[in-house]
Amino acid sequence: MFLTKLGRAVGLAAVALPLMAFTPENTECIAPANPGGGWDFTCRTVGKLLVEEKLLANPMQVTNMPGGVGAVAFANVAGKRSDDPNLIVAASTVGITQIAQNKYPAGVDTMRWVAMLGADVGIVMVNKESEIKDLKTLLEMLKKDPTSVVAGGSSGVGGWDHLRLLLLAKKAGMPTDDLKKIRWVQYSGGSDAVTQLMGKHIGVVLTDIGEIAGFLESGDVRPLATMSDERLPAFKDLPTAKEQGYDVTGYNWRGFYMPGKVSDEQYQAWVDMLGKLYKSDAWQQEATAKGLTLIWRGGKEFDGFVRQSEADMRDVSKAIGVIK
Amino acid sequence: MEILSFLAHGLTVALTPTNLGLAVFGCVAGTIVGALPGLGPVNGVAILIPLAFTLGLDPASALILLACVYYGTMYGGRISSIMLNIPGDEPAMMTCLDGYPMARKGKAAEALAISAVASFVGATLSTIGLTLFAPLLVKVAIHFGPAEYFALYVLAFATIGGVTGANPAKTLMAAAFGLALGTVGLDPVSGTARYTFGIFHLFDGFHPIVAIVGLFAISEILVYLEHAHGTHPGAVAVHRAYARLSDLAKAGGAMVRGSLIGFVSGVLPGAGASLGSFLAYAMEKRVSDKQGSFGHGDPRGVAAPEAGNNAAAGGALIPMLSLGVPGSGTTAVLLALLISLNITPGPLLFQKQPDVVWGLIASLYIANVVLLLLNVPLVGLFTRLLTLPMWLLLPTVVMVSFVGVYSINHSTFDLLVMVGFGVLGYLLRKLDIPLVPIVLGLLLGAEMENNYRRALSISGGDASILFDSTIAVSLYAATAALLAIAVVSAIRRHRRR
Amino acid sequence: MSDRLTGLLIAALAIWYGWTANNFEEGFGDPVGPSAFPKLLAVPMGLFALYLVIRPDADPDWPRGNPLIRQGVMLAALVVYPLILEPLGFPLATALAIFIMAVLLRGTRRAAGVAAVAISLGLFVTFDQILGLHLPMLPSLQ
Repeated sequence: MFLTKLGRAVGLAAVALPLMAFTPENTECIAPANPGGGWDFTCRTVGKLLVEEKLLANPMQVTNMPGGVGAVAFANVAGKRSDDPNLIVAASTVGITQIAQNKYPAGVDTMRWVAMLGADVGIVMVNKESEIKDLKTLLEMLKKDPTSVVAGGSSGVGGWDHLRLLLLAKKAGMPTDDLKKIRWVQYSGGSDAVTQLMGKHIGVVLTDIGEIAGFLESGDVRPLATMSDERLPAFKDLPTAKEQGYDVTGYNWRGFYMPGKVSDEQYQAWVDMLGKLYKSDAWQQEATAKGLTLIWRGGKEFDGFVRQSEADMRDVSKAIGVIK
Repeated sequence: MEILSFLAHGLTVALTPTNLGLAVFGCVAGTIVGALPGLGPVNGVAILIPLAFTLGLDPASALILLACVYYGTMYGGRISSIMLNIPGDEPAMMTCLDGYPMARKGKAAEALAISAVASFVGATLSTIGLTLFAPLLVKVAIHFGPAEYFALYVLAFATIGGVTGANPAKTLMAAAFGLALGTVGLDPVSGTARYTFGIFHLFDGFHPIVAIVGLFAISEILVYLEHAHGTHPGAVAVHRAYARLSDLAKAGGAMVRGSLIGFVSGVLPGAGASLGSFLAYAMEKRVSDKQGSFGHGDPRGVAAPEAGNNAAAGGALIPMLSLGVPGSGTTAVLLALLISLNITPGPLLFQKQPDVVWGLIASLYIANVVLLLLNVPLVGLFTRLLTLPMWLLLPTVVMVSFVGVYSINHSTFDLLVMVGFGVLGYLLRKLDIPLVPIVLGLLLGAEMENNYRRALSISGGDASILFDSTIAVSLYAATAALLAIAVVSAIRRHRRR
Repeated sequence: MSDRLTGLLIAALAIWYGWTANNFEEGFGDPVGPSAFPKLLAVPMGLFALYLVIRPDADPDWPRGNPLIRQGVMLAALVVYPLILEPLGFPLATALAIFIMAVLLRGTRRAAGVAAVAISLGLFVTFDQILGLHLPMLPSLQ
């Protein structure tokens, strides 16, 4: 008892003493978007479960900091809180796409990438009354006339939803110059885009399955393909793009980064804590219920993965012509 | 009949002593948060989410608490509009136009009472609409595509010229200026930074709350200092602490009309409460302002926007619950709450979890009654606020504004922007350039541009898509008719002179 | 005169606003682009501003003398407050700001001092402790 108190006092004085186990306190999770979307869900669910699983003593504060598809939060953390060990920020493939296209103020090195706890999957959908019945028909139509079907999703032009559609079109053999001609409409969320699909304002939607799963169950839209390696457990009847002859996957992982100047101990404490959470039944249930595929990558492995995907994304964006 | 039995079941769930206690607490807390400038429904609901979890409330009780806070903030926003000419939140802005002049004439109590009743009427009518027509309205809302939304915004901005009493050229210039302010930040489609000067804090644009609090609250203190010698415009005498029933009856029509317009705006995701209260005021002025008394303390000018704003709050729940599409910041927070309670809004919510939906709807009815019962007797207390000396009241209001704005992003940069807007607001007020169009431009500009661009993305750049639907054409026809009426009546007025 | 000046200023702003829009990079496969809407807005903004130059309203009474000085001091306090909020912490910075404002608004010094301490602590407890909006507390010890 006395020793821990002494330890705390020393720890305060010397900022961070090596070899002393670090325990995050007064934790905060920044969701770089408005409430309701994927990043907000990541922060809130993880924050709630960390307390319920007794991995954290006190509730985690969730701060919404929208702007620039995560750029505002990224700049804020890099500039003002670069050594705050009690802060994590929700991240996903969407953000990495932005970084790869130079839309953030700095590169992936600026932050320490903690872990991913699961991944959402891209899905291609049309109106339930559409004449398009499978992925092949859609892609052949687009190949013949890129303007024949108008597409939409929750990202802007060149964002991850748009890119995934272009990857499919490219796989189908569409010339690179034509990719640009596909009409893409940006909405502020997956549900918004699906609503517009139901009103027949657009012809096809590509977005993450998690947010719009309810529309699949109700039968308001017709799914054509998921962009996963294998069929999703929650949607066994839904064929993958791979099965239909287009070997493209489009995951959107969900995880966290930390400020770049935290110590190895502090970083590792979070990696371990999230690792424990990943293994808990509560997380596994919650994530599956939201249509997430369970994948864990943490610590060094995850850091390497993020760097690699950023490089891959840069190549893809260049190949398609989104960046020069 | 089925609906009634569902509702009755919902009411039995909601009407336990614990839940009623939570409802009263939620209503009081919501009213206070809503009345504080800078703190609005988004804060109110967001602050109380962790509380609901800490208390370990079951989903039904958590929903009741949050529904009461949600409606409570909508009630509360009007209080500072009327008493101090400072809107408590975005939709309450329109209530300043006639509410504050009423207060300055010594009719603060009437204004508060009328607005409380109008809020009740608006919220109740829209809750009834939600109960009866939700599935039908969803089908209508789906027909609104980018072209139709754009036409709706055109209608809003075309009516703006006649809304404020000021010089129409100044009003329209202010609207264009507000729309221009709305383009600051990262362009959502291409990700291009526009007018940000490389400042990261501007990448998300100007937050409407920062602008409103600056324009109205900070400028108020500068106006006050100017008059600190003699009688100042902030001093409000309270003649009577009750409203006459006849006053309420006179504003009855305005309340019903305002509720209808607000409800429709609420149902359309992306339009929301601000547009609802604005259109309700604009239309009411067209319909009833025969003597030019609007803007000088006409009770109908208080009733219409308050009914509209609260009706929109109820209407906005329809797309949120049945499509999972949050039409406003507040419904986005409610959506986050539902999701964290493991309730997924969407097309199947009404079939799959009827107990949740009807529990929520029942709690909205309860919230409304509780709020009315609380707010009418509280009028006296609120008017007492104005007997505080200004040297005490104004600094407190300014500091609360600072805290509210600081709580959005924890950014002192926002505070400086707010002070900047305060100076701008002061200068504009001196020059008789109205502030409402600026805020409206800032609030609606981004969505107006987005929908314009979405429409043209669909057509591949062909502008004829904007006129390619019955709904859009009808909206343009309504716009043209309103403009024609305005011009004709202006000419007549001119001739009479 | 005031209206003319305002009109000229806003007209200049409109020209700059429309002109700057030319530099925005076109998005990939985006038919309208980020510059169209700003250019569209610059036109009415400029025209209405010019109308104001041609047909101005009567001048308002601008403050001068003592009120102007008070406004200046108030403005200075409002600008300084955000700058000292994080270094000094909320209670201290707020008490200072309230004191200055209350004195400017003709409160007596003693009353203003008492009010400043009471209000700043009251706000801190309400917002930070009860409502959970984190505010910077104490001067940072760096």
